[in-house]
Amino acid sequence: MLRFILRRFASAVVVLFTISVMVYLIFFATPGVDPAARIAGRSASPAVVEQVRIAFGLNRPLPIRYLLMMDHLFIKRDLTSYVNIGDKVVPQILAAAPVTLSLVLGAVVIWLIVGVLGGLVAAANKGKFIDPLIMFLGIAAVSVPAYWLGEVVNLITQNELHSSVFAWLPAPGWVPLTQSPGEWALHLLFPWLTLAALYAGIYARVLRAELVNALNEDYVRTARAKGLSERRILLRHALRCSLISITSLFGLDVGALVGGAALLTEVVFGLPGVGLLTYNALENLDLPVIMGTVMYGAFFIVLASAVVDVVYALLDPRVRIV
Amino acid sequence: MRQLRRNRAAMLALGVIVLIVTACLLAPFYAHVIAHENPFASNITGTIRLNGKTVNVLQANTQGLGYGVTPIGPTWHFSNYFLGADDQGRDVFARLLYGGRSSLYIGASSAVICVAVAAIAGVAAGYFGGAVDWIVSRIFDIIWAFPVYLLAISLSVILETNGINFLFIHIEQGSLTIPILIIASVFIPYVGRPLRGIVLSLKEREFIQAAIGSGASDFHILRKEILPNVAPTIIVFFPLMVAFNMLTESALSFLGIGVQAPQASWGTIINDGLGLLYTRPLVGIMPGLMIVLTAGALNVLGDGFRDAFDPKAKLRGSI
Amino acid sequence: MTGLMSMKRVGALLSSFAVCALGVAAITASTPAGAATGYQKQHAGGTVKLLASTAAGTLDPQVNYTLQYWQLYQATYDGLVSFQKVAGAASFDVVPDLATAMPKVTDNGKTYTFVLRKGIKFSNGKTVTVNDVLSSMQRLFKVSNPNAGSWYNVIVGGAACLTKPATCTLKGGVVVNAATNTVVFNLTAPDAEFLDQLAVPFGSILPSTAPSKDAGDTPLPGTGAYEFKSYNPNTGLVMVRNPYFKVWSAAAQPQGYPNEIDMTFGSTVESEVTAVENGQADWVFDPLPSDRLQQLSTKYASQLHVNTLTADWYLPMNTNLAPFNNLKARQALNYAIDKNAAVSLFGGKLLATPTCTILPPGFPGFVQSCLYNKGTSSTYAGPDLAKAKALVTASGTAGMKVGLVVTNDPVNEAVGQYVLSVLNSIGYKATLKPQSANIQFNYIQNTKNKVQISLTQWYQDYPAASDFLKVLLSCSQFHPGNDNSINIAGFCNKTIDAQMNQAEALELTNQTAANKIWGQVDQALMKQAPWVPLFNPKQIDFIGKRVGNYQFSRQFYMYVDQLWVK
Repeated sequence: MLRFILRRFASAVVVLFTISVMVYLIFFATPGVDPAARIAGRSASPAVVEQVRIAFGLNRPLPIRYLLMMDHLFIKRDLTSYVNIGDKVVPQILAAAPVTLSLVLGAVVIWLIVGVLGGLVAAANKGKFIDPLIMFLGIAAVSVPAYWLGEVVNLITQNELHSSVFAWLPAPGWVPLTQSPGEWALHLLFPWLTLAALYAGIYARVLRAELVNALNEDYVRTARAKGLSERRILLRHALRCSLISITSLFGLDVGALVGGAALLTEVVFGLPGVGLLTYNALENLDLPVIMGTVMYGAFFIVLASAVVDVVYALLDPRVRIV
Repeated sequence: MRQLRRNRAAMLALGVIVLIVTACLLAPFYAHVIAHENPFASNITGTIRLNGKTVNVLQANTQGLGYGVTPIGPTWHFSNYFLGADDQGRDVFARLLYGGRSSLYIGASSAVICVAVAAIAGVAAGYFGGAVDWIVSRIFDIIWAFPVYLLAISLSVILETNGINFLFIHIEQGSLTIPILIIASVFIPYVGRPLRGIVLSLKEREFIQAAIGSGASDFHILRKEILPNVAPTIIVFFPLMVAFNMLTESALSFLGIGVQAPQASWGTIINDGLGLLYTRPLVGIMPGLMIVLTAGALNVLGDGFRDAFDPKAKLRGSI
Repeated sequence: MTGLMSMKRVGALLSSFAVCALGVAAITASTPAGAATGYQKQHAGGTVKLLASTAAGTLDPQVNYTLQYWQLYQATYDGLVSFQKVAGAASFDVVPDLATAMPKVTDNGKTYTFVLRKGIKFSNGKTVTVNDVLSSMQRLFKVSNPNAGSWYNVIVGGAACLTKPATCTLKGGVVVNAATNTVVFNLTAPDAEFLDQLAVPFGSILPSTAPSKDAGDTPLPGTGAYEFKSYNPNTGLVMVRNPYFKVWSAAAQPQGYPNEIDMTFGSTVESEVTAVENGQADWVFDPLPSDRLQQLSTKYASQLHVNTLTADWYLPMNTNLAPFNNLKARQALNYAIDKNAAVSLFGGKLLATPTCTILPPGFPGFVQSCLYNKGTSSTYAGPDLAKAKALVTASGTAGMKVGLVVTNDPVNEAVGQYVLSVLNSIGYKATLKPQSANIQFNYIQNTKNKVQISLTQWYQDYPAASDFLKVLLSCSQFHPGNDNSINIAGFCNKTIDAQMNQAEALELTNQTAANKIWGQVDQALMKQAPWVPLFNPKQIDFIGKRVGNYQFSRQFYMYVDQLWVK
């Protein structure tokens, strides 16, 4: 088992390394981004540009510069932006992470409650009117582009109705939990709902399918034969088994979201999280920040999938051969 | 098949899809024969005849200090700016039809490429195992771990400024092929991984072991034994991938890195509409509704496929 | 200056002797900000809340080159001289600031002698000495100031400092005398723009203890009425009163009103406008979204301020690359573009005026004319598509591919889409290449990127014709293969160059005659059509309901420190 875990984490490191090299190469293949010229400013003379090039170590060969960047990012942790000179990348990410975490955790609570309830109710009422209704809502939720939903929400809440129905709602933005918990929740309310809609739809659909399958399994028939109530069977037996497969899905989703997959929601609602940081860095082609955020995001995704694999291997020894 | 035909929801969804596809294919007919408008040319200082009066397509504000210019709103006349104009004075309804063509085209072709590549890679990895499996799995891991939008954005930023000039492949900047390839490659692991898993478990089964034992060639086994068993899953995946790719395309276009002007897609029209959200909200809302409708219908159809072909397929809804 | 839409970089300051002379003469005639009726104590206090969608990079005043922060530096830093803090045209005048008077210029314009004011203190409590002046000038080279190699190298010893910044002394170039409190600048050649270059934020006097590298996001002490208390490029910056500040010249550095000035980063422009509408903020730095203008000009009319700018929005065409290496192709596009359409996309006739010349209206040398026009009027009447198409056919460039590079903010992209449509309608196969504003401006300058046509802006610094004509279209401003080649069209015509030099030489003696030649230069350039001039924009500021005393400097725009929130 230990060997499996070690191997799994070794391959995670290989993946992270490859990603960092890819990001690095992609951005040096991009035209029109001589970082030295950009740091030096608009009408800098060639002499000044050269000065900057040397001062920032930009005159050295690519592999060396890659290693220097990794050294500054992971070991010295003093990698600085090319655009906001002196602005260190690691603290920027650490400052943005709580915003993303707040957004994701709130959305997780909402989508788990709505998704699990929706899946349960639909499965328990299979064939009745409420089942297709819930599934229809689920499909609608997974078919809506998240950013568009966000913009429409902003349009409704911030335009004409803002002076009447939504007068209680502040302008989009971010307030830290430590500053004012009430304002924090108020600012995040609609981002939470917008982000949760998609996942609630997915989870309700997946859970319903799992439950319907489970209700046909032998152990459920045995339980029925024993004379247990349908509700008890659904909650105690079928749900418990179905939740196991949901858990892996959940692990991967949360990993991706914490890693910055909520980018669009953050952009639309102006939340200064990891997603918005990445988005701005990409707009400015600010390589150090992009490198930092990609590594941060990839770390969570790789970690989540490694943990999910290991947990699976613990539960089911056959997986270890794979 | 019969079971699919009996699924009323799936048949309704199919009907919706056919209707949307037909309408979008008729876009040139609508633009040239009915509306007489070129939906790709700006018409900022143009005028139209409306109820016998000549009206500017873009109207300077007259209230207050008079700053700003607002495009004409929906006329509800089918032949004339039915849904109004965008900030370039172009007919929104005609653009919606043309935009649908791009969105559907990108969604469908990237789904074909994605599913095909994923199927080949996933089946090969599962069947041959060993080094092939290791390499394919690591490539899947890398694409998987590269945050989706980041990978798409990074690729787009470069490809959209340069085009592709790799060996003998030349794709011009601004071509629809670029978003297609980007979206297809980003989602390969989502399809490839489950297929690899299916093949792995198939290989343990007696009938495959028997075929291997009898000395049949790999090609024979893949074609006769494996393919028929993974085909249903592939079929089930396809409509869902089309839906999901359409959503991704619209997100990329919204971020300004998908379809490039003067081409239009539902995503770029939403983007155009955002600049008019406070004055002409319909420009941004309509293409969004079209996406919801189309993606929703594709999802329902995917559910129908699953019930008919592969009831046990484990899919993440829309991933 | 240029690039107002997003990064708001401030550009080359090139002016003539005449402007400087005018500036000195005009001091007595104008009234300083806040001094019109004296400082009104009852309005002091409170916090001004400014919003900007993003930060503008380093906070170091000797490195930062953006209007976004140059606007704030007016209240935090001083040079030996500075631009006068008044509303209106007099804001272009240079006045003594940390120096007691304008410098004595001797040695045929090669020696400038300043006397430093006594008793002024930095925000860290230390007194400003002549050594701080010397170290600040050396620091320009040590921190790789963007213009060290194009402006400040005129100081004796500057060339050596450029090659070896670490050991920069400017020996013989800046001579200070603590006993007499004087600072003497020796230049290698007379320089008409030297005082202007000292008056911009690059010329700020910082404590000699300031680090000899870009201070980045660490605020440096200054002498202004305010100091930067904190700066985080991801969240915002805070300016508070400088506890050691006492007014020495209200024209150079007036007392401010608010106790604190905050600039918050990170929200979208739409949310910023909403926040000001709801009274949660006082001002939006970013250009207002066009779909909000109607709402603003009806419901919030009293909170809008519109000011004329002498600036151009224009399309530079690469005169060294097909199809625009062909004069007829360039003229064709000049005929084809409907400037009123571009004006409409910018927000309508009240916010911009179509233009056919390089010099903006009201500029020295400006002559009303419109070479490429419908009809023969000297004011713009409309496009002539028939002529345009005929010229394209005659040029033999029809059917060619054209790439148009624009920035990806809404207004620039909208104008870009319109130009794209025109290019296609006269027979080209055009594509749009939107780029982040941060990259586009350097990208379109570098000939290596083979940009055929682009959309860009130029905002003036001084009412001097050379600031447009010579800076943007002379041979010396074209550097092939360089990111910093402001002559974006790559236009070089020796005859016109000679004419420009003649005009500049004449400015020293006869401004009227010089202006006449500048006017001819403008016409000669337009005959060669290196650009399509589109329109002259206006600046529109949206301020909160509670805010009073809005004053606009034509040099650095709204004075943030003069706003009343009490």
